[in-house]
Amino acid sequence: MKAMILAAGKGTRVRPITNEMPKPMIPILRKPVMESIVELLRTHDVREIVVNTSHLAPVIENYFRDGNQLGVHIAYSYEGYMTEDGLEGKALGSAGGMKRIQEFSGFFDETFIVLCGDAWIDLDISAALRWHKEKGGIATIILQEVPHEEVHKYGVVKLDEQQRIVQFQEKPKPEEAVSNTINTGIYIFEPDIFQYIPAEIEYDIGGQLFPALVAAGEAFYGLPMDFQWVDIGSVPDVWAATRMALQGKIKGFQMPGKQVKPGIWTGINVSVNWDRVKIKPPVYIGSSTKIEAGAEITGPCMIGANCVIESGAEISECLISDYTRIGGLASLDNKLVFGGDCISPDGNVLNLGETQIRWLVDDMRRVLNPGDIHDMLLFSNMLTFQEVQTQEKEAA
Amino acid sequence: MKLSIRTEGEFTIATIEEARMDAAVAPELKNHIAQLLTDGKTRIVLDISAVTFMDSSSLGALVSLLKMVGNRGDLVIAGAKGIVADLFKLTRMDRVFRMAADVDAALGMVAA
Repeated sequence: MKAMILAAGKGTRVRPITNEMPKPMIPILRKPVMESIVELLRTHDVREIVVNTSHLAPVIENYFRDGNQLGVHIAYSYEGYMTEDGLEGKALGSAGGMKRIQEFSGFFDETFIVLCGDAWIDLDISAALRWHKEKGGIATIILQEVPHEEVHKYGVVKLDEQQRIVQFQEKPKPEEAVSNTINTGIYIFEPDIFQYIPAEIEYDIGGQLFPALVAAGEAFYGLPMDFQWVDIGSVPDVWAATRMALQGKIKGFQMPGKQVKPGIWTGINVSVNWDRVKIKPPVYIGSSTKIEAGAEITGPCMIGANCVIESGAEISECLISDYTRIGGLASLDNKLVFGGDCISPDGNVLNLGETQIRWLVDDMRRVLNPGDIHDMLLFSNMLTFQEVQTQEKEAA
Repeated sequence: MKLSIRTEGEFTIATIEEARMDAAVAPELKNHIAQLLTDGKTRIVLDISAVTFMDSSSLGALVSLLKMVGNRGDLVIAGAKGIVADLFKLTRMDRVFRMAADVDAALGMVAA
């Protein structure tokens, strides 16, 4: 069977993470979400997958290559141009991207599935396909129910008794929403769908194609299914997904590495003196990472590969990306350290370079300069001075 | 740099009227506050509620000032928020300075 993974989005709501990697490459505990999607497709015998890429396309294409290592065939439909300054993406929209592939080769010659590359799912694709075939519509949207106050983030649908879709609203206000049943970005289509998609223009599935189907009175259906759907549409979502994985709340999620103590997983080649670090699970520590004696780590926490957590550092409920050095003076509480930024779950971004605190948190491969050492001593002396004063006051 | 000074009882309230506290303003900030100390105004509340960005050099200037104040007065930081508050926490300077949500809370703290 054939599928298309939508991977051309810019991921503006996940900046600054998506300045470096496109959304489908954002990992949940080291595995890009799109890799989990490919594995799920293979489980349901979907082995021919076209991926439309645009923003940071090479990051996806260099990782998945032709799909051989995952037991599938993967091809790419790049949306953009090569310019003097390098690749410049020009996404065609989800439906426009489908049309481009179809115009190119007529690839979609049987029932096919289209899904967004930016959510972790454990959908029973085979069951959804059977249902779609029984109904016989031109399209089936996989639906879920969400709390009423969250409908503004999604496409909301209204079904009749036959589960035909009679109304489609894109990101409505909660008070205007016709239901709390939402589009999960997973679709099953018949090749006939292409008669509704214009060629060579930007065209969106949720915003344009579905309203057009409703207007034309075309029979298409919504299937509410009970499955786990972990969306990573925003920075808080990335953090929530990581926490859920660490806490074992994502059903069927395979923890990476090995469990060395209850609730503590590590990669290989880690350097940790377990008797002299305080660790509260659940914690994952990546390969080739060093945790110095005297560091404190409070879970849920994910520390990437090749990191150094120096003696005295306090890390509580954080996601630390690869090659990060956390200085001994640092106290990180609920932070994502990624690509030179320290991000709060609410989206506040503190840039480590601009703030000039690279002496505290930085890429572990960078050598400290005299200015860094000056600052480090200034702050560390102050802290020591203050601690001594407090002790003296307590003694007196 | 823009800084306004007012007196409330025995306290001097210095309000930073700049959005950015970086290396460009750090030396001036240090001079201004040091002058207050020289003038005998040693109970200071520094209102940084208008500041949306602070870097290591400005925080370092505040640390030097706190050392100058030592045991002879107060230097309370009022109104740190967002990534400015984050900077204090990351560097643990929130444990060194007395931090207050706003000027009123700061006055309550030092009066106590």
